[in-house]
Amino acid sequence: MRVRLWRETEAILFTLPALIPLLVFWLGPLGYIVYLSFTDWDFMSPEKRFVGLENYTYLLTNSEFYQSLKVTLLFGLGSVIPTIVGGLALALLMNRNIKSSGLFRTLLFSPWVTPTVAVSIAWSWIFEPRVGLANLLLGWLGISPIGWLQDPNWALVAVLIVTLWKSIGWSMVFYLVALRNLPSDLLEAASIDGAGSWDKFRSITLPLISPTTFFLSIILTIQSLQAYDQINVMTQGGPAGATRTLLYMYYQSAFESFNVGEASGIAVVIILICVLLSGISFLLGRRLVHY
Amino acid sequence: MNMTALSKVIRYLLLGMISLTVAFPFYWMAISGFKTNDEIWQFPPTFWPEAFRWSNYMDAWNSAPFARYMLNSTFVAAAICLLQIVNSSMMAYALTHMRFRMKGILTGLILVGYMIPSTAVYLPGYLVLSELKLLDSYTGLIVTNCVSVFSIFLIRQAFLQVSHELVEAGQLDGASHFRILWTIIAPLVRSTFAVMVLITFIDQYNNYFWPMLITKDPNLQLVSAGLRSFFVEGGAYGLAWPQIMAASAFTIAPLLVIFMFTQKTIMQSVNMTAGVNKN
Repeated sequence: MRVRLWRETEAILFTLPALIPLLVFWLGPLGYIVYLSFTDWDFMSPEKRFVGLENYTYLLTNSEFYQSLKVTLLFGLGSVIPTIVGGLALALLMNRNIKSSGLFRTLLFSPWVTPTVAVSIAWSWIFEPRVGLANLLLGWLGISPIGWLQDPNWALVAVLIVTLWKSIGWSMVFYLVALRNLPSDLLEAASIDGAGSWDKFRSITLPLISPTTFFLSIILTIQSLQAYDQINVMTQGGPAGATRTLLYMYYQSAFESFNVGEASGIAVVIILICVLLSGISFLLGRRLVHY
Repeated sequence: MNMTALSKVIRYLLLGMISLTVAFPFYWMAISGFKTNDEIWQFPPTFWPEAFRWSNYMDAWNSAPFARYMLNSTFVAAAICLLQIVNSSMMAYALTHMRFRMKGILTGLILVGYMIPSTAVYLPGYLVLSELKLLDSYTGLIVTNCVSVFSIFLIRQAFLQVSHELVEAGQLDGASHFRILWTIIAPLVRSTFAVMVLITFIDQYNNYFWPMLITKDPNLQLVSAGLRSFFVEGGAYGLAWPQIMAASAFTIAPLLVIFMFTQKTIMQSVNMTAGVNKN
């Protein structure tokens, strides 16, 4: 009995150095933000007044909230899909015994390790409307200059270009690993049976790398919900809310307008989206992914 | 020329072009840092500066305490790495080689933690830190980042590969769990530690949002926040672009150098990360 008790205690002691910070800085705040979303606190007043669902009804009748929701969705689709498709395409290009593939891999992966703030600053210079490189390239193609970061129709595209540039090499490396682990005998057998490259890709490669695709879509979606640095540097959510994602709206209402209640409501919505997506991906993963 | 040779040439050309395009912004940043203000505002832009103005780099370096920022980031990131090794290892050891009742609950908790973005709890996290009087301090910055669910996962994965018989043998010899963890198991999973430290270091060195929220004192700023304030004060609205480009370039340089030397390990992390998710 005493031995068992000691065994339990010792195990708990081992988990404490990680568990305490997790509880204090993550699980605790998670509960706290749900509570705050039912108050109208402003950081200043000594007491937090309980207002029930007021913050949520306000959000659900507010057009800015829907605009942010739309931007979040567009940003998610616009970053996740091209990163996955592009990463796979690059990995396929590189897969067939290409010499110096190490060099290509290094070049393509390098944006991933660099600070988003610094590279976003460099990109804002590229997107400069008058003398920027982006408009020079468009000029070569005979397209008239674009206001990029100042134009509500293009600002999100510009932010997405930077996001894609940062992550495409990263997703490529995931696919390179997956492609290398494909059973070559299966592919050879298919060739002998007269399958073309497209057939082989569609019916063998694609299903076999589906765990990687699945993993990347979850991670990239969560990353897209967390995107902040490039938006903060390049557009600050503007122009006219064109790049204001839910996370950015949350930041602005908390730390610029000091609407703690409203901000917490937005955060709860973000968390609910994550829970929902995780649930869906869990169900989908069981059905569609071939391990 | 036959078909396979042709397709190979096309592959090389495509890959070469795409790689150069991806790397080009780095070149553009470094090269713009050498231009004079007149030249940088020329249209069409020049792809090679008329003359290399090294003084831009010196000016930028001296007009904000960049050395201080970089040291701050290095120090904070290193401290976080060290703490994460200790607490992730202990947690992972408990989850893999110890038997106790809470095991299932803890594993579930950590799984959920992986799914919920930490940025969503920055507001209450800020309030908690302010209650603890840790705003505007490195302690606050370090303790809030001292646990990472990802690191726990990664190390748990490595510990699962270690045979439990080793642990039992150690126990027979009278070694405590603590001793077994650090003298028997840890040396076996060195490469996982290396991956974890590199990924964490790079992440924390580049960290921007959270450090910017909780540190207002300019002396405590990390490099991303320092660069961003230099950008805003120094000429977001069109004043000192060559200096801004120079500053961005030397902020990025150390990371690219680290990456050059450790790319094998960093790429390996991809392999491990994917493995983490499968289980």
